[in-house]
Order: sequence, then structure tokens, then C-alpha cells
Amino acid sequence: MATVQERVIAVTARVLNVEPGSIELQDNFAADLGAESVQSVELVAMFEEEFGIEMDEDAALAVETVGSAVEFITRICKEQGRSV
Amino acid sequence: MSKNKKVHQLQEVPEPNLLTDTFSHSLPPFIHFDGPISEYIDGEPVEFDPQTLKTRDIHITDTTFRDGQQARPPYTIDQMVKIYDLLAKLSGPNGVVRQTEFFLYTKNDRETLDRCRALGHSYPECTGWIRAVKGDFRLVKEAGLKETGMLTSCSDYHIFLKSRMDRAKAMASYLEVVDAALEAGIRPRCHLEDITRADIDGFVLPFVDELMARSAQVPEELSVKIRLCDTMGFGVSYPGVQLPRSIPKLIYTLNKKCGVPSDRLEWHGHNDFHKVHSNAATSWLYGCDAANTSLFGFGERTGNPPLEGAIMEYIALKGDLCGVDTTAITALADYMHSIGLPIPDNYPFVGRAFNTTRAGIHAGGLRQDERIYNIFDTAKLLGRPARVAITDKSGTDGAVVWVNEFLGLKGKDRINKIKIHKLARWIMDQYEEHGRLTAISDQELEAKVQEFLPEYWQRRQNQSVS
Repeated sequence: MATVQERVIAVTARVLNVEPGSIELQDNFAADLGAESVQSVELVAMFEEEFGIEMDEDAALAVETVGSAVEFITRICKEQGRSV
Repeated sequence: MSKNKKVHQLQEVPEPNLLTDTFSHSLPPFIHFDGPISEYIDGEPVEFDPQTLKTRDIHITDTTFRDGQQARPPYTIDQMVKIYDLLAKLSGPNGVVRQTEFFLYTKNDRETLDRCRALGHSYPECTGWIRAVKGDFRLVKEAGLKETGMLTSCSDYHIFLKSRMDRAKAMASYLEVVDAALEAGIRPRCHLEDITRADIDGFVLPFVDELMARSAQVPEELSVKIRLCDTMGFGVSYPGVQLPRSIPKLIYTLNKKCGVPSDRLEWHGHNDFHKVHSNAATSWLYGCDAANTSLFGFGERTGNPPLEGAIMEYIALKGDLCGVDTTAITALADYMHSIGLPIPDNYPFVGRAFNTTRAGIHAGGLRQDERIYNIFDTAKLLGRPARVAITDKSGTDGAVVWVNEFLGLKGKDRINKIKIHKLARWIMDQYEEHGRLTAISDQELEAKVQEFLPEYWQRRQNQSVS
């Protein structure tokens, strides 16, 4: 089974239309990967769908980097009883 | 100077100071004064106390059917009766909209007046409007009105160039009609046309002295009223301006030098220099009890003070609704729209987009707390909730505000941005992929809500049916 990190990168690549191999954990979604306002919202929506979780809108949109997203989603999955 | 400059310290506060004494949000923002206003008149300082506005019987009069009708094709009788009925609703039981004036020249004019009076409303009281010629006065008598306005132009532009008279002849002809009115028991309201470019000492004051002398001989209810007509919009509100353009000095002069009491002084303005509303409000401040207005500002050329603006100013100065039903403003605008009267989208209080925000960053503020970008509780006072218009600049913030308003979701029931991501994407694609240049209509958005949020859509449909 793919790890949280692999799944976050896969979703990010799909939504932002970038090569998965070019995504680094320290990449900033907006500054490095070019996420615009609507794409940030789409990313959160796709993460929710991928992991079967619900995230607080403001907290999720405040996450800036891929690595932070991995940590954030891991924590939410644990809180909501999703095995990852 | 820099040595003595006071250092201003940041004052951190545990809660935001939203200045709710002024910005209650449930009413239009109040206007508070620090103290008296000073004006130099004849070289002497004169003080005006704005606190008296709270207790003075300031009010609004209306000229929608007279000056307002000079700016457009005539209303039908039914239309005028409907508008009058709504004006009565707006005015409320205290007569904040105290009077409205009617032409009396045609059979239709007279039938309109009869039908409006037959509705039995206390306010606005129906008054007439005639030229100051004796033949016209017969019309007032036949209509059985208690008060009529009459044209008594006072600038030499009107006396010499328009009427081809001299001052003595003009005054004599005006006074003849005033005498006839008083004799018949009808209160004359002299419209001092073009007063803001008249010779105040040479014509206006002698004429008003004559009017006051006649008023002293008749019962109070017949005493002459004076309407100061800023026919070309030349009036100026701020202190220090010379006569005849100074509104403070004009009012003070008639009020104190001629002894015309405030309850017999009325201001009538025009908007040729974009000053019309402030000038009317200023007239209240300096001693006119009545501000003459017209619905949505419709009037000769650039129009008159907008009645709905005067209503908001009145509430702001009084600090209370005083019985006014502000929702009637929206009903009047809807009615005007239905009979083909154009009101610009950005027109205050009633335009289609008056409380519609387009920028995403503003919509974001609106989403967090409507007080950030709505002038007051427009849903409560005007039946018009704050809205967002959807374009490529609206962002997901704008889209989510639109969706929540459309679905009627409030508080914790409000849908968040994440749930409307498909709609937000569709909106952006309209512009980025399809090169769209127009705003997205409500109908298009409704269709997309049905497609992307079918459960919410269905819930709304069920609520509409029940």
C-alpha cells in the first residue's frame, strides 16, 4: 500500500498538473508548484476524497508545503480513525 | 515643530473596537456632533447647534409628481396612485415624509389628486403647485387644497430675462396671488426660484418682509411658507462662502433677519454640481425644517435630492427609525423598475448592485462577517442581503458567498469552500478556457448548483415548496 507521502504527491501532481518525480517535500504549493487560489481548494477537496477524511477549511488551506500536508493529513487520519 | 510632536502609542485591545455607537449595523450609521458649528455672518461669529436636530421637527417633503415628472414622460394615474400609496407606507405614522405636491393643470392631474386623497393616508399630505398667476389660483380653490406652492422667482435672471418684468412689477404680481390665497383660506408656499443667484438684499429680503407682514395678519395655519429653490444647483454647504451661494447664510438670513421660523422654511435643490443631497442635509442643520426631495432623485435636468437618501440621513441624524418603513424604498424601486424607470445598477440603496461585491478579497471579508463590506443590515432594512457578483475576480470566496446566500444557509450550516470546488473550477474555466468576458448570471449558477451540489439543491427545492 502506498504511503501518505506517495499519495499526497500523486494527488498534488494530478491537480497541479506537474510531474510526480519533480515534487519535493519542501515545495511550497503556491510559490514552487504554482497552485492558484482555486487549485488550493481543489487540492484540499482531492485530499479529503483520497483519504476519506474531512478537514477544517481554514486549517487545511493554511498548510503551505507538501511536507506539512503529509504531517497534517497523517494527524487528521489518526484523529478520524482512518488507517494509513 | 518636530520637537513638540506627540508620540502616538499603539493601543492593543482584547476585543475589536467596532465603534458600534456610530455603526450599529442594524440602522444606517449615526451622525454624532462634537459641538456647535460656527459661521461668520456680517463679520460676526454665529453658532448653530446641531444637537437641536434631535428635537426639531425636521422632515422630508416630496416632489416626485411635480419636479420628478418634469424629467420623464408623464406617469399614468394608476402609477401615481400606487407610488403615493407606497410613499405613505415609507413615511410611517409620524409623517417623516410630510407632504407631496401635485400639478393641477389637467383633468388627469386633478383625478390623480382625488384618488390619492381617497386612500385616506395622513401622510404625505397632498399640496398643489401653480405659477404665481391669479388664473391658476382658481385650480387650487377647486381642488380644495389647504396649501399650494407658487412660483415666485427671485433672481434677475428670471425676473428680467425670463418674465420680462422689473423687480417692483414682479413683487406686486407675486403678492397679488399670495393675497388671493390668504383671502381664500389657503396657505401659500412661495417658491423663491433661483435664490442662489438672486440679489438677496435688493429683492429677496424686501419680498420676504412683505410676506411676513401678511403672515402676521392671518392665523398661524395660513402663514406663508418659504421654499428656497436652488434652481441651478449653485448652493454651497460649507462655511465661509458668500451670499447668495451660501446655504448657511441664506437660511440664517431668512430665519433671523426676516423672522421666518424654521417650520416654514424648506430647501429645494438640484444636482447640477453633484451637491444635491449634502446641500439638503445642510439645510436641516442650519434651520430649514423641510428638505424637499424626489424619489430616486428624478427631477429637472440632473434631478433633486433623492428622497431615499434623505430618509437615511434622517435616521442617521435622529438615531432612530421614527416610524419609517425602509423596506418601502425597495418596493418603490421594484415598482419603478416594473414601469420602465431606469435606475443605474450602482445607484445607492436600490440599484441592482448597490450592495454587491465583485472582488474576491472583498467577498472573503463578506464571508467572514457581513459588517466588513455591507453598509448596514440591508437584508433587514431594505430586504436586500449583501451579494456577490461572480466573475473571474470573485475567487472561491465569492462563489461560496453566492452559494450560501442562494441556498439560504447561515451560521454553522454554511457550506465551506472545499465543498464548492467543482463550481469554483467551472467558473474559472469560463474565463481561462472559454475566454468569457461577462459576469455569470444567477440562472447559470443555479443550474450549476443543481449539477454539482444536488443534495443541497434538493433541500432548497423542498423548503421552497413547503
